[in-house]
Amino acid sequence: MFLTRSEYDRGVNTFSPEGRLFQVEYAIEAIKLGSTAIGIRTPEGVVLAVEKRVQSPLLEASSIEKIMEIDGHLGCAMSGLTADARTMIDHARVTAQNHRFTFDEAIKVESATQAVCDLALRFGESVHDEEAMMSRPFGVALLIAGIDEIGPQLYHTDPSGTFTRYDAKAIGSGSEAAQSELQDKWHKQITLKEAQVLTLRVLKQVMEEKLDQHNVQLAQVTPTGFEILDETKLQEVIEAM
Amino acid sequence: MATSSVYTPAGFNFSNQIRNTFLQERGVPLPKATSTGTTIVGCLFKDGVVLGADTRATEGDIVADKNCEKIHYITDSIRCCGAGTAADTEFTTALISSNMELHGLSTGRKPQVVTAMTMLKQMLFRYQGHVGAALVLGGVDATGPQLFTIHPHGSTDKLPYVTMGSGSLAAMAVFESGWQPNMTRDDALNLVKAAVAAGIFNDLGSGSNIDACIITATHTEMLRNVETPNERVQKERRYVFRRGTTAWKTESVRKLIVNEETTIIGGDAMDTS
Amino acid sequence: MPDMNSLAHPQQHQFNPYTENGGTILAIAGEDFTVIAGDTRQSEGYSIQTRYAPKVFRLTDKAVLAVNGFAADGNMFVKKVRQRLEWYRHAHAKDMPLRAIARLIQTMLYARRFFPFYVYNILGGIEEDGSGAVYSFDPVGSYEREACRAAGAAQSLVQPFLDNQIYFKNQTPAQDTSHPVHLPLHSVLALVIDSFTGATERHIEVGDGLEMYVVLARGNPALQSLQDLPGAEEVTGTQAEERVFVIRRDLKKD
Repeated sequence: MFLTRSEYDRGVNTFSPEGRLFQVEYAIEAIKLGSTAIGIRTPEGVVLAVEKRVQSPLLEASSIEKIMEIDGHLGCAMSGLTADARTMIDHARVTAQNHRFTFDEAIKVESATQAVCDLALRFGESVHDEEAMMSRPFGVALLIAGIDEIGPQLYHTDPSGTFTRYDAKAIGSGSEAAQSELQDKWHKQITLKEAQVLTLRVLKQVMEEKLDQHNVQLAQVTPTGFEILDETKLQEVIEAM
Repeated sequence: MATSSVYTPAGFNFSNQIRNTFLQERGVPLPKATSTGTTIVGCLFKDGVVLGADTRATEGDIVADKNCEKIHYITDSIRCCGAGTAADTEFTTALISSNMELHGLSTGRKPQVVTAMTMLKQMLFRYQGHVGAALVLGGVDATGPQLFTIHPHGSTDKLPYVTMGSGSLAAMAVFESGWQPNMTRDDALNLVKAAVAAGIFNDLGSGSNIDACIITATHTEMLRNVETPNERVQKERRYVFRRGTTAWKTESVRKLIVNEETTIIGGDAMDTS
Repeated sequence: MPDMNSLAHPQQHQFNPYTENGGTILAIAGEDFTVIAGDTRQSEGYSIQTRYAPKVFRLTDKAVLAVNGFAADGNMFVKKVRQRLEWYRHAHAKDMPLRAIARLIQTMLYARRFFPFYVYNILGGIEEDGSGAVYSFDPVGSYEREACRAAGAAQSLVQPFLDNQIYFKNQTPAQDTSHPVHLPLHSVLALVIDSFTGATERHIEVGDGLEMYVVLARGNPALQSLQDLPGAEEVTGTQAEERVFVIRRDLKKD
């Protein structure tokens, strides 16, 4: 038998002798290639910001969608294989709507996150002899922001189906530098306005291009609900930087 | 039947029968007759017979009368308990009571219980069960104490202890475990009370109080409400409405005294001598 | 007797899985409490199956459910609701709020639209805002929030009484006064007892025993009087701020 690493990194449901699932680890690696996304929790709400890599001057920047609404009180920023995020967000949206339908109330942020992570682990699953529905782990990480009875919350999910709560979190290619910057600047009493500015400042530091209203996207979840900031509002924040 | 006449024949009037059957087929519900859901019992003892009955009358699942009388008079020494359609039991026993009186008058003797029983069964058989009376007939005559049951179709039984009505099974259970031949008057009365009580508490069609009737050769004792185990409880609140609670739309006050003017035209006074 | 004419044709027989087990339930919401009550007689036809079959159930510390109709369906339904509440508690780390339970019951009932639970439900308890609330349902899930509701065998006897005494229907107030919007607990309990003694008098399927659940909102001043009330038993589950009590009374047994 050939006991090299390459023998164990093919099957998504095969552990290596050291107890690792290589496909999941590779998926986590894939996120590090993605564009940077940042989330900051404040007492007033949660701010999400992403960089949009506008690779060509012919590309319509507004068509890049990296922050999406899950429910009225839930938003989500992504980094990695963003196409995979569609499946996850679709699932989260259905879960949130289903919760409203059955319980006449908004789903909790943690419950929605849990639902997404349950899906993330379904790779390689098959019923009887049928072909598995998902052949590989998702190659995307999410920042799920929301408000419920506990207050504003920010969750991070990765392809292993693990989720963690953060006060501030950065994912994607610039995440390492961004994260240490957030650690420096975040404080308990940070206001929503300050958080908006901070996300953009941090993004600016890690972005290769010059930051403007076309290559970043800013969103927030406040007690009034989820909202993606339009160009004029975004411009105001950029000017406040 | 089609001809209208000022003459009304005796007996039942069937003129709406065809119409009512038609309406029933079309799904029009028939009016609900008051039914004595009922536990009625009778039991022989050494010197006579004891009859017993509960006092609940129902209309479907609603209690129509909480203290009705189900032990009907036939003659001084014959009584009859009725179960089934209240109107049928009341009317049938009253009719037979009248005929028994006439029978006694024309024969010049005290009529026997079998006579009442025969008259009842012949009438009920004639109406093929449409007269919904289930009866317990008891009394004492020249031949001694007698006890019968009469079913709505006209069949009869002659037994030492009998029960009828929706509570008959509960009551019969008590009789089967407690009846003995040649009981004393007190034992018989207590057994009858226990049998009716079993019906009152275990059959939803029966309820409220116990009536009993003890008939011996010399004396008939009607014990109306001999037991009242279901007294109405005190309400928590008083429901008195302030004067003026009921709203009205218009008010009109009318004088009820009509003024009358009498004009005397004279003439002689009436001769009242 | 079967007539020969009809026997000449094929006979169709059908199994009917439902029965009606009598009894009556009711609930009244106060400003900061709710009373949910039911008699304990279970019957079929003219027979009493048992003199003590509870129809009112504590679901959480702020929700009590009364079920009436087909007893087997009622018990199964309560069991299923409780299972869903437990799942919810595990999934969302909290007790389900009253309005969420109400909606859940609707979806559970409507899921059986074409093979219904033959049950009338009345849900009572305390809302998230601390107010007393009553939700009433039909067997297939239509529901609404109300101040009071009676259901079951003696609904037609009790509801008009409640309409008159709770909503003051057909009662014009005296000059320059108005009827109270909410009644105090002791008045509501008295009305509930009178509803059931009244229904027992005139309905053959109502009687034997009465169970009244009282759910008190946080800091309800009536707490002390309930704790002192002889025969009132506290059945509050855990550390909740809402308090649940049961008061049992005898009803006539005929």
